Amino acid sequence: MSGRAVDWALAIAGGVLLTLMTQANAVLAGHTGPLYASWAAHGLGAVVASVLVLALARRAPATASGEGEGRAPLWYYLGGIPGALVVVLSAIAVNSELALAGTIALMLTGQILFGTLSDHLGLLHTPRRRITPMDLAVAGCVLAGSVLIVVGGA
Amino acid sequence: MLFFVVLALLNGVLIGTSRTVNGRLSTRKGAFRASVWNHVVGFVFLSVVLLVLRAWPDVTDAPVAAYAGGVFGALFVAVNSYVFPRLGAMSASVLVISGQVLSAVIIDCVQHRALPAPIRLAGVVLVLLGLGLPRLSARLRQREIHPCPTEKK
Repeated sequence: MSGRAVDWALAIAGGVLLTLMTQANAVLAGHTGPLYASWAAHGLGAVVASVLVLALARRAPATASGEGEGRAPLWYYLGGIPGALVVVLSAIAVNSELALAGTIALMLTGQILFGTLSDHLGLLHTPRRRITPMDLAVAGCVLAGSVLIVVGGA
Repeated sequence: MLFFVVLALLNGVLIGTSRTVNGRLSTRKGAFRASVWNHVVGFVFLSVVLLVLRAWPDVTDAPVAAYAGGVFGALFVAVNSYVFPRLGAMSASVLVISGQVLSAVIIDCVQHRALPAPIRLAGVVLVLLGLGLPRLSARLRQREIHPCPTEKK
């Protein structure tokens, strides 16, 4: 497989991990509450990720594909805050008329719109990329299909 | 109603922001370290929220297996942070969402031992079509340049 194909496969595998995570967190949230579930998942995730860093640090040097040298700006470290904020805000949206399906459909739409804008405008230090008509067609199909899946029920 | 629509869209923007920022950090520190920072900072943030809201629930009857979400999350953030800067924000988002919705349909099928509803199947077809589009159009274009011998007039 070419490097690009590996990246594709990894990204899709990431989506599978995300589903497994959501499933487990939903069970935990059902027994406790969404805030606690996310809090516990973040705490445990921090431990697991730290163990992975320690386990892998022996094999490979600390820096991966070093794109930029020097210190990372402070805000590079704060990605966890918007991620955690989603837990709080999505709980509000899910309890509105939108319900779960509507909330998820809109969240997917927001993600793809923001990704497109980031690439186009270079937001948040994203390397600028030209969005081709093909990119838009792919995103449109995936988004439309995803919304059908989310709204279509089990 | 409009307020909640905007709120849900904003949630998507926040998810994108989180993944982009984690992806930036991974280019400096590596994907696994980016995952550590994401979880530590998120944990501290949610600790503050829990303390302020005093929303501590009764946690005695939660099954231990439900805590596996933390393990999947740690792996997900590492994988996602690695691919985000490599594929670009748009492509990475589209691919992660594809993996997410397709695996959700499969898991539902296995759990309910039933085929998905027709609307969902149509959704699966659309997602797969979207993923295959670049290859499909490349093949079509190739055929225009080198027509198959059988298609010659």
